[in-house]
Amino acid sequence: MQSDVALAPLQEWMQSVVTHPSDVYEAADAAEIAVDDVILPSRTLQPIQRVGIYHGMYMLRMIEALTVDYAAVAQFLGEHAFEHLVRDYVQQFPSRSYTFNRLGDSLPEYLASSTWKRRTFLRDLAKLELAMTHVFDEAEAEPLPADAIASIAPEEIADARIIPIPALRLLALDYDVNDAFQAFRDERPMKPRRQKSWLAIHRRDYGVYRMPLTREAYVFLESLAARQTIGSAIETFHRRFRRFPAQSDLFTWFRDWSATGLFTAIEAE
Amino acid sequence: MNRFNFPDLGIGVGLRTVHFSHILGSQPDVDWFEALSENYMDTGGRPRYVLEKIAEQYPIVLHGVSLSIGGTDPLDFDYLRKLKSLARTVNARWISDHLCWTGVSGRNVHDLLPMPYNVESLRHTAERVRVVSDFLETPLVVENPSSYVEFATSTMTEWDFLASLAEESDCGLLLDVNNIYVSSFNHGFDPNVYVDAIPDDRVVQVHLAGHQNHSTHIIDTHNDFVIDEVWKLYGRACARSGDVATLLEWDADIPDFPTVHAEAKKASAFRSAGSGEWGVGSGTPGPDLAPALPLPTPQTPHPEVPHAV
Repeated sequence: MQSDVALAPLQEWMQSVVTHPSDVYEAADAAEIAVDDVILPSRTLQPIQRVGIYHGMYMLRMIEALTVDYAAVAQFLGEHAFEHLVRDYVQQFPSRSYTFNRLGDSLPEYLASSTWKRRTFLRDLAKLELAMTHVFDEAEAEPLPADAIASIAPEEIADARIIPIPALRLLALDYDVNDAFQAFRDERPMKPRRQKSWLAIHRRDYGVYRMPLTREAYVFLESLAARQTIGSAIETFHRRFRRFPAQSDLFTWFRDWSATGLFTAIEAE
Repeated sequence: MNRFNFPDLGIGVGLRTVHFSHILGSQPDVDWFEALSENYMDTGGRPRYVLEKIAEQYPIVLHGVSLSIGGTDPLDFDYLRKLKSLARTVNARWISDHLCWTGVSGRNVHDLLPMPYNVESLRHTAERVRVVSDFLETPLVVENPSSYVEFATSTMTEWDFLASLAEESDCGLLLDVNNIYVSSFNHGFDPNVYVDAIPDDRVVQVHLAGHQNHSTHIIDTHNDFVIDEVWKLYGRACARSGDVATLLEWDADIPDFPTVHAEAKKASAFRSAGSGEWGVGSGTPGPDLAPALPLPTPQTPHPEVPHAV
């Protein structure tokens, strides 16, 4: 019996056993210290069974947390496959935060480089769910009054910056995952449809919303979100599409986005 | 009254998101709420908004699960800064966390992992409690965990460790009587001895909860009503410490708020120095209270996969 294991190596040992991706017996075999040298038996359980309680709970917690954040991905994959995904994911991207909220931050990245069937669809669906999680938790900001942008003096418009609310994420996607996600919400089967799509995910009155965008609207709003002036955003648009945005489009975008509460401030140069 | 003059807040309920609408809409007659710190530190969304609304009307205590006070990684001062800021925002009456570690080498296992109880870990943990209390500018309140293993390197009992820790670091104690019961079942000690050994002037708060008995071991699931044996331990603790802020935790299979609140309010029978109908101080056992703590029956070991806590 080795009963002189110091605190730090004991914690390293226990973490390696508890987080091992296989069962607790393989975890114990892979560890440098024998379980019986560290853990005492109880009247009913052997040391391996006792530490196995922590081992079993670890993966259940990971699955539970990621199922909350990625409910649609979990639904699409099914219980068994999602559990397999979580086991693999947390090996590559273990939690390094004091909060569970950050555990799933790398799932889109993981899926993109994985060999999972339908990985591009799954990556886009995960991007959407991650954006919704981030928007849910972002800081609250008072939206601009709907007529604020219209009140900017004409000679100041080009140099003005329209500051978006923190609770806004813009997504450019290879699949129409907004449609798939709506199907999930409506308890219909999700059908992956490969089609470029653009989305604004935003929050209003503590509710999270998905707003489909055209490619042109996405490019313009992305420039504003990057803190470009309206003039620079128009130039970016021109470089991308070799034309200027139509006046009617600009009018519609600013009207709709202001009414939706996407902006929180106007900064003049 | 405890030595820190932290008030007896009465009988509280753990704040859970499924009850947000009920609490905001009905403003139930609850003495106080305990909020899980990590759920509100990094959000500017609805949970934070609701917590701040509730804090306008009810006393709030912050209860953490990621401080890792017994861990061997350096203390996370970014975490502590956010915790301190949140505590000020909601005017937290005190801040508590568990006697445990949650991960090493930069990882978080998100579990309340047990400590070996020996001089090395006592000194290590006491020093960290002192640093955290200094940083937070309030005595940290440390909760006894439930555990499923005992270490070969332990040289003292958990209750001796906890009492020594409180003395050496001058911290408060959150006595979780359900955790005492769970650990006593899993490790085969007398929970009454544990309760009696705790320095009562350091007990700031008591936790109550339900659990799952798997016959060979008990898992601290917080998913059920408080069992009679735990109420009996609570009565014993009340008789020793006097009235102390008491809170019911319910974290899985959560029923509607009135059901949770009604379960919490059963504690009132044990308060006022044990003079209630069920109070052990009166010498009258409560209805359906088991006369003695049942010891686990040896069976074929079968560690079932427990529910996540």
